[in-house]
Amino acid sequence: MTFQIEIDQLNKYYSTNHVLRDICMQIPKGQFVALVGPSGCGKSTLLRTIAGLETAGAGKIFIEGAEVTGKAPRERDLAMVFQSYALYPHMTVRKNLTYALRLKRQPKEVIDHAVKEISQITGLEELLDRFPRELSGGQRQRVAMGRAIIRNPSAFLFDEPLSNLDAALRVHMRAEIRKLHQRLGATSVYVTHDQIEAMTMADHVVVMRNGRIEQQGAPLTLYDRPTNRFVAGFIGSPAMNFLPATVAEDGVSVRLELPGAPVLQFIGRRPAGEAVMLGLRPEHLMPEEGIDENRLSLPVNLVERTGSACYVMTNTDPEIVVAVPSRVEEDIKQIGVTIAPEHVHLFSRDASGTALLNAA
Amino acid sequence: MSIKRIILLALALVFVSIYLFPLYWMYITAMKGSTGIFAYPPSFWPEHPQLAIIEVWQRHDMGRYLFNSLLIAGGTTLIVTVMGSGCAYVLSRLRNRWMDVVLFAVLMMQVLPSSLMITPLFVSFEQVGLTDYPRTAVILAQAAKMLPLFIVLVRATFLQVPRELEQAALIDGNSRLGAFLRIMVPLARNGILVSSVLIFLQSFGEYVYSRSLISERALQPATVGLQSFMGPNSSDWSGVMTYAAIYVTPILIVFVLLQRQIVSGLTSGALK
Repeated sequence: MTFQIEIDQLNKYYSTNHVLRDICMQIPKGQFVALVGPSGCGKSTLLRTIAGLETAGAGKIFIEGAEVTGKAPRERDLAMVFQSYALYPHMTVRKNLTYALRLKRQPKEVIDHAVKEISQITGLEELLDRFPRELSGGQRQRVAMGRAIIRNPSAFLFDEPLSNLDAALRVHMRAEIRKLHQRLGATSVYVTHDQIEAMTMADHVVVMRNGRIEQQGAPLTLYDRPTNRFVAGFIGSPAMNFLPATVAEDGVSVRLELPGAPVLQFIGRRPAGEAVMLGLRPEHLMPEEGIDENRLSLPVNLVERTGSACYVMTNTDPEIVVAVPSRVEEDIKQIGVTIAPEHVHLFSRDASGTALLNAA
Repeated sequence: MSIKRIILLALALVFVSIYLFPLYWMYITAMKGSTGIFAYPPSFWPEHPQLAIIEVWQRHDMGRYLFNSLLIAGGTTLIVTVMGSGCAYVLSRLRNRWMDVVLFAVLMMQVLPSSLMITPLFVSFEQVGLTDYPRTAVILAQAAKMLPLFIVLVRATFLQVPRELEQAALIDGNSRLGAFLRIMVPLARNGILVSSVLIFLQSFGEYVYSRSLISERALQPATVGLQSFMGPNSSDWSGVMTYAAIYVTPILIVFVLLQRQIVSGLTSGALK
């Protein structure tokens, strides 16, 4: 099977800095891939290397089965939407949209037809003769999208395209881009530092750290079965709670290093006495009454109310966050939570933080 | 208005008048007769203003001198603009230790005065036979002198153009050269134009190279031609000043018309 974009053992160095390490990815046609990670993890560098704006140190990049590793950006037939939109300030919206087509010396009728179609899709019909400086942020964003779409490229590259928009518009454009992707079915690689953006938009999420791919897979796979502590902590909001614990003598439960040394059951079996890091998602800690199994009683330090949910921070070390889907009383002092055994994650306590057990 | 502002304004006026006095004296002297020039005490306004523009123009064949000046300034500006824009672009985009060395060398070139450079230049031009084409020789020498200034000014303009624009152009299907010519140059247009005007005005007043390299009177620019007023026994001061006024006035007009752009062009990059 030929993939739309295939990356094989890609490495890149900035002098002595190893910024991309053994990157391997296979993107089938029509897939929406999100590259996500903290700033400086190499996600933008990876995208720009795919685009040809950065040279690859070692490894190969294929687009539609043909190797493009050393080729110039224009030989790769990719379109890119930049964080700053990078609209040409000295050209009108129409000229911006048609720039690539004009470079290819397409006949005028083809260009006019394309402008008509694209301006309808992006809702820019009224703005074609304006200059970028006369547009609002959202409109500029649309022009940048339109400029990419009009070329009908073999893949779209997005470099944090929504990070310059305000929160409401960002949510709106998120849905727009997603709809557009469904309609055009174009292969897309989307860089973002926002894991919610990645989770909601992508078919396939690639989590990166320090130039390495930590894990890639479907969004819910990453959520349910993170392969290490970094991915577990990065995906999901609020972030997963990590608690040091020791596997009990029976091998099917862990003893927490909290006052009272509570014990939690998990599904599976680990060697007794193993030091582990327990991972509990805030939304899996249920403040339900009447269940005594896998119950923790925690002193409350602070409550954050968002309206739809309450986040309860406990007065323990380390702090535990509990996401309560309903409301809690003002002066709550103690909260009792239960956790289903299948939602208990165990990670090794060393620096790698490898997942030992992902039930779910 | 506070006292402080009044004092500052007065000081500014004093300095401006000191600066502009020679210009005023040039125009005034051009309008005076030969007796008025040496009158004591000197008069600050001519009694019988007269301007011998046509007479001076014809007597000294100023058309030819100004044509040579224009040729030298135009040639210099053309070479500097074409070569300097590419150079400034490269220096604005590549950042490494070697480029810092290059930039330093470029700036060093600007420090060296013409009068110091002319002797080695003359010797080397003589050897390659360039002195047979004296105006070309002056254009080359002056272009070399002006390039650093142009590069430094235009580089600042290129630095202000976001890199993403040129990357977008590359992805949209441009070659490197295409992205430079179609995106970078139009966006740096103001800086390039202002710097070119500055180079043109400076080259229009070039003296040292022309004086040294051009011996044939028919090929000399207006700056050198000014010397012909100096006789061994007497000097036609009124003629000199008329000549100077004819020469300087167009430059002044251009500068006044463009001064807003020139000032903003010079400070762009510096204030960022």
